[in-house]
Amino acid sequence: MKNEKKSERRLAYILVAPSLLLILAVAIWPVIQSFYFSLFDYRLNNPAKSALHLDYSLNLERYLESYPFLMSTLKQEMAQATGDEKEQLTSLQQKLQQVDEEIRADEEVAKRYEQIDEILNNFEVPSEEMKIVSIDEQAAQHLTKTISETKQTLKTLNENGQLKQGDKLTGLANGLSGAVIEPNFVGLAHYKNYLSDARLWKALWNTTVFTVISVSIELVLGLAIALLINKAFFGRGLVRATILIPWAIPTAVSALMWKFLYDGQNGIVAKYFADIGIINNMSELLTTGAGAMFAVIFSDVWKTTPYMALLLLAGLQTIPSSLYEAASIDGATKWQQFVKITLPLLKSSILVALLFRTLDAFRVFDLIFVLTGGGPANSTETISILAYKVMFSQTNFGGGSALAVIVFICVAIISTIYIKFLGADLISDRK
Amino acid sequence: MKKATKFSSALLALTLGLTACSGGQDTDKKETTDKKDDAKKSEEVVKIVYARGKDATKATEEIVKAFEAKYPNIDVEFREMPSDTGAQHDAYVTMLNAKSSEIDVMDLDVIWPAEFAQAGYVLPLDRFIEKDGIDLSAYNQGALAAGNFDGKQWAMPKFIDTGLLFYRKDIVPEDKVPKTWDELLAAAREFKGKGGTQFGYLMQAKQYEGLVCNAIEFIAAYGGKIVDENNNVVVNSPETIKGLKKMVEIATSDVVPSNITTFTEPESHTAFIEGQSPFIRNWPYQYALANDPEQSKIVDKVGVAPLPAGDKGSAAALGGWMTAINAYSKNKEAAWEFVKFMTGPEGQKISAIYGGLAPTLPELFKDEEVLKANPFFAEQGFVDGLNAAVPRPVVPNYPEVSEIIQINVSKAIAGQITVEEAVANMEKEIKAVMQ
Repeated sequence: MKNEKKSERRLAYILVAPSLLLILAVAIWPVIQSFYFSLFDYRLNNPAKSALHLDYSLNLERYLESYPFLMSTLKQEMAQATGDEKEQLTSLQQKLQQVDEEIRADEEVAKRYEQIDEILNNFEVPSEEMKIVSIDEQAAQHLTKTISETKQTLKTLNENGQLKQGDKLTGLANGLSGAVIEPNFVGLAHYKNYLSDARLWKALWNTTVFTVISVSIELVLGLAIALLINKAFFGRGLVRATILIPWAIPTAVSALMWKFLYDGQNGIVAKYFADIGIINNMSELLTTGAGAMFAVIFSDVWKTTPYMALLLLAGLQTIPSSLYEAASIDGATKWQQFVKITLPLLKSSILVALLFRTLDAFRVFDLIFVLTGGGPANSTETISILAYKVMFSQTNFGGGSALAVIVFICVAIISTIYIKFLGADLISDRK
Repeated sequence: MKKATKFSSALLALTLGLTACSGGQDTDKKETTDKKDDAKKSEEVVKIVYARGKDATKATEEIVKAFEAKYPNIDVEFREMPSDTGAQHDAYVTMLNAKSSEIDVMDLDVIWPAEFAQAGYVLPLDRFIEKDGIDLSAYNQGALAAGNFDGKQWAMPKFIDTGLLFYRKDIVPEDKVPKTWDELLAAAREFKGKGGTQFGYLMQAKQYEGLVCNAIEFIAAYGGKIVDENNNVVVNSPETIKGLKKMVEIATSDVVPSNITTFTEPESHTAFIEGQSPFIRNWPYQYALANDPEQSKIVDKVGVAPLPAGDKGSAAALGGWMTAINAYSKNKEAAWEFVKFMTGPEGQKISAIYGGLAPTLPELFKDEEVLKANPFFAEQGFVDGLNAAVPRPVVPNYPEVSEIIQINVSKAIAGQITVEEAVANMEKEIKAVMQ
């Protein structure tokens, strides 16, 4: 009997295992992946950092794009130089040759070296796996040291005007220094940098202001609209449908539309606001920090209140009308009915709607990106916009991943607060 | 580790597919490469893909037509990219990072070559240039230098752009065209409201790349610099402060529209061709646009002058576009033929005639057909403006540096911080990203 129960339980676990794995893969794995990326100084526009490196290696393609040309140019210079300069250049050349031999001392590296050289001479591009060879730390550091010495000497000589092809030489030496790949594991440095950066806190503050204000206005308005369209009146279906229009328009499109409405020269909304005295002049909406924040919140409220109303309407319709009938027979006023019947029974709908909208508002991106681009003077830059700029415009994937993880942590905190303090019964096992 | 790289490239490829809608192209390409093996090289038609931002003129079409007539075995397909330079940059970076060979030739904004070269996205052209004996000294050296990084040429200059002052000839008399920024402010005050205008001066002051161009012009006019030739950050100087103060003074004065901090090129040129302002700072395309009777209300009323001077003379931001070859392209030889044609005298002549773009080959400014299509190329104001062009900082992580400048200048114009604070912030932040 007991055994049977045990095996049944095991069977149950086996049956839910696939869905658990799916949840892990879909929800948790990308976060772990982002966190892993955020531990590296991972920059797409820097060849030495465009992949995750845990140990030293050499980019042979880059090395061979510079080294032979550097040597031949050095030789030409040496032929024309005299005295002290000639000595300096000769010693540079010898040092470079020495490290080159040091690198090729490794048999595997030497083989690849030849292959890549041939490929480059045929105007081909070697494959990624092929051109990166790992070298030991000592050789790498020796190479780095020699290159930086070379750069320094050439720079000094060039500045003194003692070189015929100075710019070419310094450029080639610069190119050579990009060939050595050092480990780019930085640990939690990105987090440390961003958490001590005023820009991140400003962005978080902007996000919070936007979320709190717009979600609370939406809740009040949404509830009012839901109560209204829950009543039976002539043309209710039409009203219900039209009220959803703002929500149905794609965000980027409605943001663009509002941009024209807010325009400081020709915007109708800007004109009305100025006429009724909400703002001093028409241009204030998009050119001042407070104005821009107001403009963004206003558009968001316009756009997502219907969504809130829809969610609440669904909740309202589950309340049986017999409750209201009974209450009115007992002599309860409309307000009493609202407070004692509607609100308590609507609680879980309100919580779901709030949770959805808060998380949504916290990640706001497209509306602000199109409407203000985060400006003026970064006054509407939210955390998602900051993460986008770092990751895609600056192509700093490590830093951007760190910001993504920070967003994830904030979202997790918000959800926890909602579920813990407000809605213990929201996601409970009991029916 | 390898898995992580693969994941990221898969992710990038996915994003790319979504943004560029590139389905279907790959199969075509595969067929051509397969054919390559059986057919003889000389007889086979090679298809290359050329990417650039939206071209409102007929220039690109004409260049492709002329090129295909001359090289019947090369077929050029035009791929349109986002016209906003920032969005275009991000699209290329995404594509090239996934090592896509989908495009062969692409146009680069002058501020990108260092970054693209450093990242290994574009092919160094030195070997080709040497092989074909291209005379680099025939090019405008400033434009050529923008494609040079670490001693190698990564992109060929296609056309040159520079900030210029356009004015209304019917409102502003010839002798009142301002020579200095102070004169501009005075003239803008004087002519504001005359001849149906609403404003005195138009510029680009939104927090975006154009703001950097405007700021560089003020800074350089007063002798300041952001980064010097040896990559030292020298932004915190009395000259820079003076230049930026003049910019803030103008941007917050009553001669510009009160919402100037939302103005990019389209907003400013629209207001100008609607006849709302006697002065505007804009790129050369403004001339052709202002004389287009279909859109403009001020046809034949526009004059060109170099931007006003500060203490150290006049300075204009150097803009323009270069052409480069994708390092992962499968048809590099054909791609080079196209680059050579397009950035050579024939191609540049076509883009000057059909697109109104200023050539990077100075001798074309004397060409009769070019001058007939663009009479203002002969105007002294234009030539002087080109000569006064200064580049933006040439650094491989330009987007980061640009963003720092945008934010701080924007804050100074909004009055959130003083110009001195803005300059000190820029110094600190640019130093931090350049190390």
